[in-house]
Amino acid sequence: MLGFLLVVLLIPYLIAAYGLLFVKLRWGLRLFGAFIVATIGLLTAMFLVEAYPIIARDGVAVFLQTRWDPVRESYGVLQALTGTVLTSAVAMALAMPMALGVAVTINEILPARWRGVFGSLVDLTATMPTVIYGLWGLFVLGPTLQSLINTLARDTMTSPYTLFTAGVLLAIMITPYAAAVIREGYALVPKPVEEAIYAVGATRFEAVLIKLRYVRNYILGGFFLALGRAMGETVAVAMVVGGNFVRFTTNVFESGITVSSLIALQFPNAASYQYMVPALFAAALLLTLFGLAINAVAIYIIQRGQI
Amino acid sequence: MTVKRKVENITAERMVINWLGLGLFALLGVAAVVPLFLIIGDVYIKGIDAINRLGGLWVFLTELPPTPFDERGGIGPMLVGTLYMTALGALLGIAVGFPLGVYIGEMRREKFANVARAGVNVLVEFPTIVVGLFVYAVMSLAKENLNQYLLGPLSKVLSPLGGWITWFIGPLDGFNAYAGAAALSIIMIPYVALITASAYASIEQPLREAAYAIGGREFNALFVVLRKAVSRAVVTAALLGTAKIAGETAPLLFTAFGNTYYAPFTGPTAAASLWIWYAAQTPYDVQIASAYGAAAVLLTIILTIFIIARIRG
Amino acid sequence: MFTWSKTFYQVTGSKIQVNYQSIGSGAGAAQFLEKKLDFGASDVPMPRDKYEQIAGRFVQFPVVIGSIVMVYNIPELTYSKTGKYLNLTSEVISLIYMGEIKQWCDERIKALNPGLADKLPCKDIVAAHRSDGSGTTAAFTLYLSRAYQPWNQTVGWSYTVDWPADKKAKGTGAKGNEGVAQAVLQTPYSIGYIEFAYWAKNKDKYDQVGGVAFVRNDNDGKYYFPTTENVAMGAAAGLERYTRKYGTKPAPEADWNPVSIEFSNPPQGYPIMSFVYVFLWKDYAAEGYGDAATKAALLKEFFKWVLTDGQKQENIVEGYISLPSEVAKIGLEALNLVKP
Repeated sequence: MLGFLLVVLLIPYLIAAYGLLFVKLRWGLRLFGAFIVATIGLLTAMFLVEAYPIIARDGVAVFLQTRWDPVRESYGVLQALTGTVLTSAVAMALAMPMALGVAVTINEILPARWRGVFGSLVDLTATMPTVIYGLWGLFVLGPTLQSLINTLARDTMTSPYTLFTAGVLLAIMITPYAAAVIREGYALVPKPVEEAIYAVGATRFEAVLIKLRYVRNYILGGFFLALGRAMGETVAVAMVVGGNFVRFTTNVFESGITVSSLIALQFPNAASYQYMVPALFAAALLLTLFGLAINAVAIYIIQRGQI
Repeated sequence: MTVKRKVENITAERMVINWLGLGLFALLGVAAVVPLFLIIGDVYIKGIDAINRLGGLWVFLTELPPTPFDERGGIGPMLVGTLYMTALGALLGIAVGFPLGVYIGEMRREKFANVARAGVNVLVEFPTIVVGLFVYAVMSLAKENLNQYLLGPLSKVLSPLGGWITWFIGPLDGFNAYAGAAALSIIMIPYVALITASAYASIEQPLREAAYAIGGREFNALFVVLRKAVSRAVVTAALLGTAKIAGETAPLLFTAFGNTYYAPFTGPTAAASLWIWYAAQTPYDVQIASAYGAAAVLLTIILTIFIIARIRG
Repeated sequence: MFTWSKTFYQVTGSKIQVNYQSIGSGAGAAQFLEKKLDFGASDVPMPRDKYEQIAGRFVQFPVVIGSIVMVYNIPELTYSKTGKYLNLTSEVISLIYMGEIKQWCDERIKALNPGLADKLPCKDIVAAHRSDGSGTTAAFTLYLSRAYQPWNQTVGWSYTVDWPADKKAKGTGAKGNEGVAQAVLQTPYSIGYIEFAYWAKNKDKYDQVGGVAFVRNDNDGKYYFPTTENVAMGAAAGLERYTRKYGTKPAPEADWNPVSIEFSNPPQGYPIMSFVYVFLWKDYAAEGYGDAATKAALLKEFFKWVLTDGQKQENIVEGYISLPSEVAKIGLEALNLVKP
C-alpha cells in the first residue's frame, strides 16, 4: 500500500506545488524544496532498512573493515569508501583546472565564430554513454597510463586497472559538467564590469582572474556538480578500477574499488547471499553520510567566508 | 625618470605573467578536450563503419539487433525506448528541477533553502544504480495495487480508442518504461537544479531590485522579467540534463530491464545505453560493432538537439 | 540465449518474442524467485538453500555447455616464439590464486613444463580475476574446490570469492570476461580465467603475448587442450560418473548441486566446464503470474525448440557446446512437468 500511495500522491503534490507558484510564489518554491528533502529522506530510509541486517549482526565493523568473503558471508566496506575518496580527489584535482581552462579558452582565446561549435562539442562529451568511456578506459587509457607511470617509476602500476586509472577517467568525464556551468557564468559577466576591469589597466590574464573571482558562485556550483558526478559514477569506474575488495590500500596506483562501482559490480548476484545486499546498502549509507558531511563543511566554510 | 622605469618594469613582468597564464589556461583547455575529441572521433569512426556494415542507416534505425550469426541488424527497439524514456524523464526532471533551482538560488538566505541545497548536492552523488534500485523497490511495493485500482480500470475506460493504447497505458509489469523514466528523472533533477541555482544566484542585486520594481508580482519578476538573464543557463541545464540521462545505463538495469524486440511500454523496454552495455562486452564482433553504431546514433541525436537549441536560444 | 531467441522469433514467423537480458547468474536466479522474470538462467544450479524453499515447485535443466580457459601473458614464452603452450594443473592454478606460488620460475611450474623450464622468468605473477559477481568465477572456483582440497578449505566457491592472491601476492580484478581478457593481454606476467569464446576470438593476440594453457585432468592424468571435442568428452564422462554413482540420470525436480559437483573435474576430457541452467515454474497460474496459460505454453514451445533444433551446431554460438542427447532429454522431460 505504501508504494501505491507514494505513486498516487505524487501527481497531486506536484500539481499543488505548481499551482502555488502562481498564487504564493515563495510557498510554492518551498514545496519543491520539500520534495527533494523528502526524496533524500526516503532513499536514506531505504538504505537503513536494507542495511539493517548486517548492522545488527556486525555493528559498525562493516564500515571499519576491509573484507569481501561471500562464501563466509563476511563483509567490510572500508576500502570502498577510501576508494571513493581517493578517486574523487584525483578526479577533482585534475578536472577543476581543466574546466577553468576550457571556460577561459572558449570565452577569451577562441575567435567568436568557433565558440558555439567548440562549446557544443564539449557539451556533447557529457552525453557520451558512460559504458563507452569505460571501454575507452579499458582498451586505451589503462594500458597507456600503466606504460607512462611505469616508465617514470618502475613497477608502480602492476595492473592497468587501478584507482589512478579510474581517477583520470573520471576527470575526463566530469570536466564538461564543471566547464558548462563555469562557461555559462563567465559569458554572463556584464559588459560594464568587463570594461571597468580593462579601464584600470589589467592585462588579459589579470582580467581573466578577476572575472573568475566574479563568477565564483558558478565555479562553486560547477565544483559540487562535478564532485557529485565523480562520487556517483558507476559504470565507467567499474570497468577500470580493478576490483580489489580485500586489501586496504591508500596507494592510488593499486587496484581498488569505490562504493558506486562496488554496488554496480556485486549487486546483480547479491540476492543469492544472505548478507551481501545489506552490506551493499550499508556502503551506500556510508556514502550518503560522507556526502552530507562534505556539504556541512562546505556550508560552514562559505558562511565563515561571507561573515 | 624613476617613475617611468618602474612603470615599464611592472608592465614587462606583468606581460610575461600574462602570456604564461593565458598559455596555461589554453593548455589546460586543450588537455581537457583532446581525450574528449579522441573518444568522439573513435565512436564515430567505428560507428559509421558499423552502420554501413550492418545494412545502412535505415536498416540500423529500424531493425532488430543482430545475433552473433547475423550480418545485418539494427537498434530499432532501443532507439524507440531511449527516446520515450528520455523524453518522459526529461519532462519530469525539468518540471521539478527548474523550480527547485530557483528556490535554492533565489532564496538562499532561508535555512530551509540551504537544507534543500545540501539535499541536492547529496542526491547528485548517489550511485546511479542505487536510484534504480529505489524505483525498483517502490515499483515492487506499488505494482499490485497500482494495477488493481488505477491502471486496470483506466485501460478499460480507454480501450475504445484502439488496441495501440495498451502499448502506452495499462497494467504494468515488474519492469517497464515508466519505472525507467522515473529513475532517469530523479537523476536529472539535481543537475537541472544546480545549474539553474547558479544562474539565479549570480544575478546582481541592482538587476534583481529592478526586476521586482517593474514586475509587480514576484512571479512576474522572477520568471518574466529576468527571463533573458537566466534563459541561457536554464536551457543549458535542460539540455545537459537530458543528454546525460539519454546515456545512462545503471538506473535502467532493474527498472526498464531491456528488450531486444518492439514491445509495449508497460513491459520491459529496450534502451540504446543498455544495448551498448550488453553488446560491447560480448566477444562477437557484429554485436560490438552494433554497440558503436548505437553510440554514434545516440550522440548524433543529442548533437542535433544541442545545435537546434543554441541556434534558437 | 539471445541467438536462440532471435532464431526462434524468425522460425515462428515473428510471432513469439522471448526477451533475454544477460544480467548475471545470481540475478537470473534471484529475479526468477521474485517472480519478476518468467524464466531464469544461470551458470550454476539453484543454490541449495533457495532450492529447499521451493523444492517441488520448479524445474531446472541444462541447455548448453560452456567452458573456461586459462590464458597467460609471458613475454619470454609466447606461443609465437616457442611454439609451445604451458601445462598447468589444478593444484598449480589453485596455488597461484592462493598467493602461494608467486613467481613464474617457481619449481612447481617448472616441474610441469620441462621443455620450457629454463626460460620461465623470475617475475611476479599477476593473477587476474573477476571484480563482478560472475557465474564464470563460480564454475572456475567450483572446479578448483573439487580438484584441490586446500582450496576448498580456505577459499571455497561462489560468484565472488576472497582471493588470497589479492592479499599475499599480486592479484587484480577486472570487470567481465572482456575485462579479464584485456587485463591479461595488457599486463606482462599475468594469468587469467575467461570463457572459451573470449579466447577463441583473440587467439592470435594471445599467441603473441603468451598463450592458453593445457590443463591436466587430475583423474586420468592427461593434459587437454581446450577444444569443443575435449569439452564434450568431459561432459559425457561427467554424466556417466553421475549415473554410475546415483544409479539414475539427474531429474529435473532434483537439486542439481550434486550434479554440478560430479560434472566438475570429470573422469576424462577438458576439466573446466559448466552447464547453463534454465529455471521454470511448474505451475505459473499457482505462482501468481498473469496470463499464466499463454506464458507457460510459449515457454514450453520455446524450450522444446532450444533442446532440439537449438542444439544443432548452426544454432550454437562459438564458445558453447551442445548437450549430449541424454542430457537434452532431461530438459524435455522437465517441460512435460510444466502445466498446462
